[in-house]
Amino acid sequence: MNGAIETVGLVLVIAGCVFYAAGTIGLLRFPDVYSRLHALTKADNQGLLLVCLGLAVLAGSVQVAFLLIVVWSVGLVAAAVSAHLIARHARHAGEPHASRETER
Amino acid sequence: MSTEVVYVLAASAVFGAGVYGLIVANHLMRKLLALNVMSSAVFVTMLTVAGTTPEGPDPVAQALVLTGIVIAVAATAFALALLVRLVQETGLVSLRAKDDDGA
Amino acid sequence: MTVGVVVDMMLGLALVALSLRVVTGGSLFRDIVLFILFGLLVALSWARLGAPDLALAEAAIGAGLTGALMLMAYRSIGADTEERPVRRRPGVALVVAVLTGSLVAVIGLAALGIERVPDAAGDAVLEALPGTGLGNAVTGVLLVFRGLDTMLEMAVLLVALLGAWTVLGDARPGRVHRVDRRTPLVGSLLTVVAPITLLVAVHLLLAGTDAPGGAFQACAVLTGCGVLMVLTGTLRPTAVAGFATRLLVVAGLAAFVLVGAGAGFVGHAPMTLTGTWAVYLIETAMMLSIALTMTLLFARARGLRGEGS
Repeated sequence: MNGAIETVGLVLVIAGCVFYAAGTIGLLRFPDVYSRLHALTKADNQGLLLVCLGLAVLAGSVQVAFLLIVVWSVGLVAAAVSAHLIARHARHAGEPHASRETER
Repeated sequence: MSTEVVYVLAASAVFGAGVYGLIVANHLMRKLLALNVMSSAVFVTMLTVAGTTPEGPDPVAQALVLTGIVIAVAATAFALALLVRLVQETGLVSLRAKDDDGA
Repeated sequence: MTVGVVVDMMLGLALVALSLRVVTGGSLFRDIVLFILFGLLVALSWARLGAPDLALAEAAIGAGLTGALMLMAYRSIGADTEERPVRRRPGVALVVAVLTGSLVAVIGLAALGIERVPDAAGDAVLEALPGTGLGNAVTGVLLVFRGLDTMLEMAVLLVALLGAWTVLGDARPGRVHRVDRRTPLVGSLLTVVAPITLLVAVHLLLAGTDAPGGAFQACAVLTGCGVLMVLTGTLRPTAVAGFATRLLVVAGLAAFVLVGAGAGFVGHAPMTLTGTWAVYLIETAMMLSIALTMTLLFARARGLRGEGS
């Protein structure tokens, strides 16, 4: 039983790491600010959720699980606001949009 | 190779990079970055060469480093205030005079 | 060689590569950002070395706060002073590189050769710790065994602030590049984040007696909130330090001195702290003092006032 719980936790953490890796590859490979932000926020928030869930399962305590949920929600708020500010600034500064560039 | 050995070697290399930056860099803010890099290296070295107790690294060394981190920020803040004033007064971001640039 | 040591090696190599990039790079703005990243990796190495107190402090103060101060100063000295390419003759740089290279080798060898002392001060601390009522040895050293050091640290912070005030001269407080709070999300961010930071700071302060945490980590969280409030214009920098500001700035040092002197009156040796209530009192004062000092240093102001007043 203990082994099964541990396996579930580890699988969740590793799945979270895969999402992080995908987000990082997106950050490095995507052509413009907007799509990079898209990769970062979407994939990394999912990754953080999975890592937190995995750690909560591994910790096996309600208090720690609650704290991890708080960590995730604060991370979510920070990511949403900072991504919004960066995108807004980029738009106002006239940052080029990759897909429109190629259409021309 | 143990964890401590890895960090001692990395810290000495980081310290060297900081010394190089402090001497070669032109911009005072980059010199400050180099100083901060050096202080991080010193902190890591201090903790790794201090002994360990059953409950982790030596708590005296940890408290010293914690004090050091806060002092480093205070010193950096003061140095940045000096830098901003220097730029306001002279328009220069390095300590050399305009025509002393070797240009 | 275990997996852990492989992680350590990757972390160590990343630290060396980042530090080289920070000191030699071309764009100052990018290198400040890389320096923040460097600080976060240093925090990870503290965690690997088994020092969670330091990991918390490094991430919040060493990386976050220093980075915020640097970026703020970068904005106020202006992008037009962006570094010109180094005009120094490459030969000089090469000589310096060779010399620092040999310095690295000497330091590395010397540090590796240092022998661990068999019974260090740390063991004495762990032995005496149960008598203090504290469970966190680092907090014990900071406040009970070496309280004088921490008191003088508060004095250094005060001097740094006074120095910055002097350098500020008669200049109006630095223009803060504010984010417009009418920007969607930013206003609501504060209403969500401010109470959470307060909660986290108090939690860190209280937890610090028994678990990783304490006044320094708590003050860093509060400072983060202060920086956010300055950036969104909720707190505006002013050119005059009010009475409350002055009082709060010296509160940490004053609490130390008063409690220390008080111990002398009730029959203990002067400057000894007894009981957890003294620790809580001093830590609270320290937290408020440092947080205000750092926020003022960030805003390069003598005082702060709320938006409405």
